[in-house]
Amino acid sequence: MDKIYSYSGQGKGIVKRCFKSSLATLMILILFICSAYAQTRKITGIVKDGKGETLPGVSVKLKGTANGTVTDAKCTYMISVPDNNATLVFSYIGFVTQEKATGSASVVDIVLAEQSTSLNDVVVVGYGTQKKVNLIGSVATISAKDIENRPVTNVSSALTGLSAGVSVMQSSGKPGADGATIRIRGLGTLNNNNALVVIDGIQGTLDAVNPDDIESISILKDAAAASIYGSLAANGVILVTTKKGSKNKTTVTYTGIASKTNPTNMPSFVSDYVRHMQLVNEGYQNLGQTPVYTAATIAQWQKADADPNGLNTIGVPNYIAYPNTNWAKTIFQNNILQDHNLSISGGNETTQFLLSAGYTGNPGTMQNTGSDKYQFRVNLQTKPTKFLTVGTQTFASLQTFGLANTSNAFNYLWQTTPGVYPYYNGKYGFPSAPEESSTANNIASYLTTTGGSDQESRINTTFFANIDLYKGLTLETKFNYQTRFEENNSYPIPFEKWDFSTNTLKQAATAPSQLSTYYDFNKNYLITLDAVLRYNTTIAKDHTIGALVGYDQYDYKYYYFDATKLGLIDPSISTLNSATTPTAATGDAYNYALRSFFGRLNYDYKSRYLLEAVFRYDGSSKFAPANRWGFFPAFAAGWRISEEPFMQNVNEYIGNLKLRASWGQTGNNVLNSNAALGNYDYLATYNPTAYSYNGAAVTGLVQTKFANQNLKWETTTTSNIGLDGTLFKGKMNFEIDAYRKYTTGILFTPTIPLTVGTATAATQNVAEVSNKGIEVTLGYRGQAGGLSYSVSGNFAYNFNRVEKYKGTLQEGYTTDASGNRVYSSNIGQVSSGGTTRVIQGHAINEYYLYPVYKGNGTYNNADGTVNKNGGPKDGMIRTPQDMAWLQSMMNAGYQFQPANGISKTKIYYGDLIYGDSNGDGIYGNSYDAQLTNKSSTPKYNAGLQFNVSYKGFDCFMIWAGSFGMYYYWNDRGYNNSIVQLGYAVNNLVANDHYYYNDANPSDPANNINGHYPRLKNTSDAQNNLASNFYLYNASYVKLKNVQLGYTLPKSLTQKWSLSKIRIYVAAENLFTITKYPGLDPEIGASAGYPTMRQYSVGLNAAF
Amino acid sequence: MMKKIFILILTVAIVTGCKKNLLDTSPYSSVPAANMWTNDNLTDLGVTGVYQALRLGENSGSDSGLELYMLDRFGFTGQTRNLESMLSGTITTGNGIYSSIWQNLYEGVQRSNDAIKNIPLKSPSDPAKKARYVAECKFLRAYFYLRLNQLWKGVPIYLEPFTADQAIKARSSETDVWNQVVADLTDAINEPSLPSIYAAGANNYGHVTKGAAYALRGKAYMYMQKWDLAAADFAMVKSAGYALFANYTTLFKAANEQCSEMIFSIQNVAVAGGGTTGYGSTTQWFCGTRSSFGSCWNDYLVSPNLVDLYQNLDGSAFNWDSVLPGYSGLTPAQREVFFLRNNLTDKEIAAATARGAQMSLYLPTGNEARILQAYTNRDPRLAANVITPYATYNGVFGSINATVTARWPYRGEAALGGDLRTDTQSYFYYLYRKFVYEGNAEIVNRSYGPTDFPLIRYADVLLMWAEALNEQDLTADAVAKVNEVRARAGVALLNSSTATMVAGQADLRERIRNERRVEFPNEGINYFDELRWKSWKDKVFYTGNGVKQVWGANVYTYSFQGDYIYTWPIPLVETQRNPNLKQNAGWTN
Repeated sequence: MDKIYSYSGQGKGIVKRCFKSSLATLMILILFICSAYAQTRKITGIVKDGKGETLPGVSVKLKGTANGTVTDAKCTYMISVPDNNATLVFSYIGFVTQEKATGSASVVDIVLAEQSTSLNDVVVVGYGTQKKVNLIGSVATISAKDIENRPVTNVSSALTGLSAGVSVMQSSGKPGADGATIRIRGLGTLNNNNALVVIDGIQGTLDAVNPDDIESISILKDAAAASIYGSLAANGVILVTTKKGSKNKTTVTYTGIASKTNPTNMPSFVSDYVRHMQLVNEGYQNLGQTPVYTAATIAQWQKADADPNGLNTIGVPNYIAYPNTNWAKTIFQNNILQDHNLSISGGNETTQFLLSAGYTGNPGTMQNTGSDKYQFRVNLQTKPTKFLTVGTQTFASLQTFGLANTSNAFNYLWQTTPGVYPYYNGKYGFPSAPEESSTANNIASYLTTTGGSDQESRINTTFFANIDLYKGLTLETKFNYQTRFEENNSYPIPFEKWDFSTNTLKQAATAPSQLSTYYDFNKNYLITLDAVLRYNTTIAKDHTIGALVGYDQYDYKYYYFDATKLGLIDPSISTLNSATTPTAATGDAYNYALRSFFGRLNYDYKSRYLLEAVFRYDGSSKFAPANRWGFFPAFAAGWRISEEPFMQNVNEYIGNLKLRASWGQTGNNVLNSNAALGNYDYLATYNPTAYSYNGAAVTGLVQTKFANQNLKWETTTTSNIGLDGTLFKGKMNFEIDAYRKYTTGILFTPTIPLTVGTATAATQNVAEVSNKGIEVTLGYRGQAGGLSYSVSGNFAYNFNRVEKYKGTLQEGYTTDASGNRVYSSNIGQVSSGGTTRVIQGHAINEYYLYPVYKGNGTYNNADGTVNKNGGPKDGMIRTPQDMAWLQSMMNAGYQFQPANGISKTKIYYGDLIYGDSNGDGIYGNSYDAQLTNKSSTPKYNAGLQFNVSYKGFDCFMIWAGSFGMYYYWNDRGYNNSIVQLGYAVNNLVANDHYYYNDANPSDPANNINGHYPRLKNTSDAQNNLASNFYLYNASYVKLKNVQLGYTLPKSLTQKWSLSKIRIYVAAENLFTITKYPGLDPEIGASAGYPTMRQYSVGLNAAF
Repeated sequence: MMKKIFILILTVAIVTGCKKNLLDTSPYSSVPAANMWTNDNLTDLGVTGVYQALRLGENSGSDSGLELYMLDRFGFTGQTRNLESMLSGTITTGNGIYSSIWQNLYEGVQRSNDAIKNIPLKSPSDPAKKARYVAECKFLRAYFYLRLNQLWKGVPIYLEPFTADQAIKARSSETDVWNQVVADLTDAINEPSLPSIYAAGANNYGHVTKGAAYALRGKAYMYMQKWDLAAADFAMVKSAGYALFANYTTLFKAANEQCSEMIFSIQNVAVAGGGTTGYGSTTQWFCGTRSSFGSCWNDYLVSPNLVDLYQNLDGSAFNWDSVLPGYSGLTPAQREVFFLRNNLTDKEIAAATARGAQMSLYLPTGNEARILQAYTNRDPRLAANVITPYATYNGVFGSINATVTARWPYRGEAALGGDLRTDTQSYFYYLYRKFVYEGNAEIVNRSYGPTDFPLIRYADVLLMWAEALNEQDLTADAVAKVNEVRARAGVALLNSSTATMVAGQADLRERIRNERRVEFPNEGINYFDELRWKSWKDKVFYTGNGVKQVWGANVYTYSFQGDYIYTWPIPLVETQRNPNLKQNAGWTN
């Protein structure tokens, strides 16, 4: 996160270097004159950097004297020393100062390490840039280097693990829908927690920027940094700056990656059909029902399994006629992802340009889900007159999406059995066992039987004009238009399903007259106008003042329309005109707008005391005119302790020490994480509904949302205190931040009584949430011989709590008028939600679950009566003793909800029972559910990066982890014990479930230590109560990326008139360490399109 | 410098010249509340919105379990292929059926309240029309409260639109709710601009009529056991012009949905849009089979108890032993043999033997003919309502019409002579024929069928009328009403033979109940009847009853939880959100 500045373009560096070398020559001359009477012996040497490049202009001083020199254009120096005890001090801007005792050597060569914090480093901040050393807000920076050379298809997923306090999770690996969720400093609100993304000064989305075009990313975390974006910034701001052309040098760069992709994890179902049938039968038997699969069918498969390649009576190979399909393996595949980018940048004194083009071909890990993406960029700026700069940043992309119905494929992945053969001879398989459900799905058909096309286009263009009005006074204006539109056509491709065992057609292809075609067009656009007046001046040398005022407005609109028609003339012809009967035509639109005024004042005294004040005044279309405007101020102060005279002696050890403090407010006017909702919530609205009279369809109007005229801005107040600096002569850098975010007036839709009806409750400014946290970043760089290495780690802790909602939870017994003890709880009145709750004094969406019973296993009291605390230790009725205890409990009048009775269809061996939290003698009734102090939001996030380079070789690694989060995961077909005809059995359950044959206690099949409850056919009220049995610790650590690269020696590349060639191999998402039994804790609790593991080779070349 | 100033001015002009009303946005697809009811069109649309509440509970992508016809699964006449916790004795107050139906019915109340309050206040429509609309909405409000009271027996009464903060009322007594229902219906009846009946094809067909209000008020009186008042109201329904339709079988086809038997129906048309189910009905989707148009689901099934209840054509009770001697002496599993298809393969015989069928009684070529005897010469309503074994059904294979036959065991569909394919092919169930479309032309999509769903039809009125008369000991009058229904069905009339001889009030009471059971399957009536008659426990939870295959073998067995389940529990979350709502006795929160 500290590399951005040294990577601000190779060209620039060279310019700087040339300038420095001429300055150096001048200095040498002066020094020669001043120290004309130099004596004794001379020492020479050459100074290089860690990469072996030579450095001109390096200051070389004799320690303890004023004598010194600088390296010349050839990067060598010569200095006279008095004796063998001399020590030379080498210093150079951007590099760690190094001392070297000369001894008797006459040649002293030196390799200087790059300094992590350089005085000239510049960080992009809101509406401008700021010298890193003068920065007083909490800003994380990510340079191009951190995200380049990775086969990621989306910028967002490349940010994982790179900065403290920035949690990044990719919830799907589906090509085109693989953007990651980014959370900056926890959850500040109960609605939308997405950070604002600003690309080259304009609000945008990370999907709309090519990772290869990025020069730097700044993440604004505290109010001091973010308040300039006012109401947009409550969840933090991600500022993306794209590369620009450089003066006087034209560079052509090519980067290419090819990677082999495979899913990081796959669901695993029993694929041996015999075993599957036995397990499903077990579910029937456990309920006292007749097993559904007959012995004859099971025997048929056993026979076929013994001779898979044998032919059945009609000549079909057994493995096709009597299949054992592994559906997960069938639908997932390994593919090759490609990514190519070519850019040309250059320019002269007045005009600079960057042209880039990129192509990403991501076939995904499932058939027919691939996405191709083409991206283009033109960044151009020119200075036609002395005072005027005009230019553009223009981006365009085209992305196509695969048409496979992956949501169906995942929905139905567990709604099938191994007894269906996927595809053979151009035909899809149909269940071949006579008793198998005829609706057991053929998953392959969901991936391949949709025709059509789906493509998304984006255009994002900014035109800017900057005018120098007066000394230090500039006016910067921008106009931006960005649009995204999607054109989609789909139609079913008719197909047949056959029973291969008898070679009979079981499901005929749909006739063209019953096929329909669907067209959809949806589009959004955003128009932004932006003007900033900026003034910078320095008064009396020591007082630097920067001021800006600005105006900004944006106008967003989304609309769509689609149409479906039935009856195609032929399956291959799918236009609307060629179809016969209109069956649906729909469309809708929404819009919102924002108008803002803002300003900032910076002041510093001798670069030692720093002050900043910011305000933003925002008006939103989402509130009634009276509540529309919000004012968001921020103040920050910084003290560069290292600049104090008293620090001069310790700066070598503790350098660049800076203390920062800030306070400020930001706002939020996003009422719903679904952008289509919450744009007009201050108006009660009546929406259309469908009815008919006399056989004619008519529209009705019904109130679908209650209004709240008084809706107003949600405000987040953030205080931040930070300390940063360097240690060990700059080898180590550290940055520590502590913050408190407090959000008031949270826009939230509480749960309301059912009696009010089906309309959505009124949105209200109802809750308050606090987030407190600590963020630490530590970096170390060092070198040994030619080996240079660096480690950078970041760690963040965030504590989140709902401070105010509808009151405190009150539960307990009272005595009513007639003297009875009555238990009451106000949970329904003071909380919102179901298995996760929003309730005062707890984390946002904390799990609210039934506790599984926990006994001590003693069963009876000393007097022989049943001990209510003596039941099974893990809450599962496993042994006859457990059962006897349960029976005694029931005899004693205790109830065990929900099934409340002992029998195979109620509670039996292998069932869970629940605790009686409130002690009312009813185990597992609604009063027993409890808040768990656990939620799905990570408490800790951490990242670790390693860099090692030796000569031309470099190695790079990123680890990322999230900890302290839990998932409630109870998914049929994945980890719950319901089995059913036509439905898959997951290996998790198949391999570790309870089984007990109470008729034969010594049945070898008994498994009374199984983790999962006994199998049941179709439904299971007792074990599916939302309980902590299904609450899992989802903490994980991932090796996100590892790279090994080799840069060809200059001598070689220059021969080919190239300036740089680097080749590398890399792996992405190499492995995950977690206890979570589900697919992937990063994608969330349930199964979905897995993220990809990739093995890549890549090439970077610059001309 | 001049140039700079010029540019500055230009920029300022661009910035400030932008639209002044930038921040004044309004929704594209909806009407702000402030405008609602303020013109004639919005008044029409608002009233239509109240009617639409009748459709709440229709599925949104899959089987909701909430629609009226689906509730037959809890009654005597129906069953479902899955185990229902209400029937297995394990249902709890948190069950979604309680919360969803409560919420949907109260949504109807809210919409009615909105219209009843705001039409007089805001609408500029013609006064007669406004008065008619208010009367219609009062009918609808009465309907929603009637449904609530049938199930919960005393619910909070709200007569004005209310917000979440105001939803704190305690329950009114069951009687008070009935009184409120009667009051609203009386208002509707007293409204001069409400027509008695709409002719078929009238533009307003589907709106409430005075006849409907009488019918519903009569029903409310039945619950209040005010038999005389009920009978008087039913007489008014007849005076309004409602009458039986001649043909029971075609009565449930779209062509006859506006016949004079249909007093009040949920209006359906086969049009997409407005949600998954479009503007149409879902009966075909969840009561059809894989052989039905668009591959439907046989979620809801006919109980063998109902099939057995259908009398012989001569009005005598059906008896298996008289068709298949010795039938009742066999175990249900053994009886499967009678239902097997002809020419079983060795494998099929082995499998049937393994299942316990008494294969010694199997007739390899005469088995189908033998079982068909059980379903011939029966009350014609059996064939109209149920697809019985070896009956045919006009289905679809691929996309073409195909006549399929319900055979056991299932072998395969085909364009010609194929088997009817269910999605429960390892079981042999009785399937619904009523409200299941045939061929590929009756509907365009399984999700939305065109046929109106009757909420009250004249046969219902006649049989309630008979019941009201019988309870007043007017037996002969009551028999006449029952016979109207029987005559239309084509089954022997009461008192026409020994078997049909009515033996007094109690006998007639049971005969009327049975008449209702055989007349209304799949119409969402039977479950409510059994609750009202307090016969649910005896008729549904008798020992050994359950979800049964045609030969009576249980797939699931029912278990009675306790008498308290006659009254539905207040939804758990509602007792938590409004502590003034006290839970019904017996239910554990």
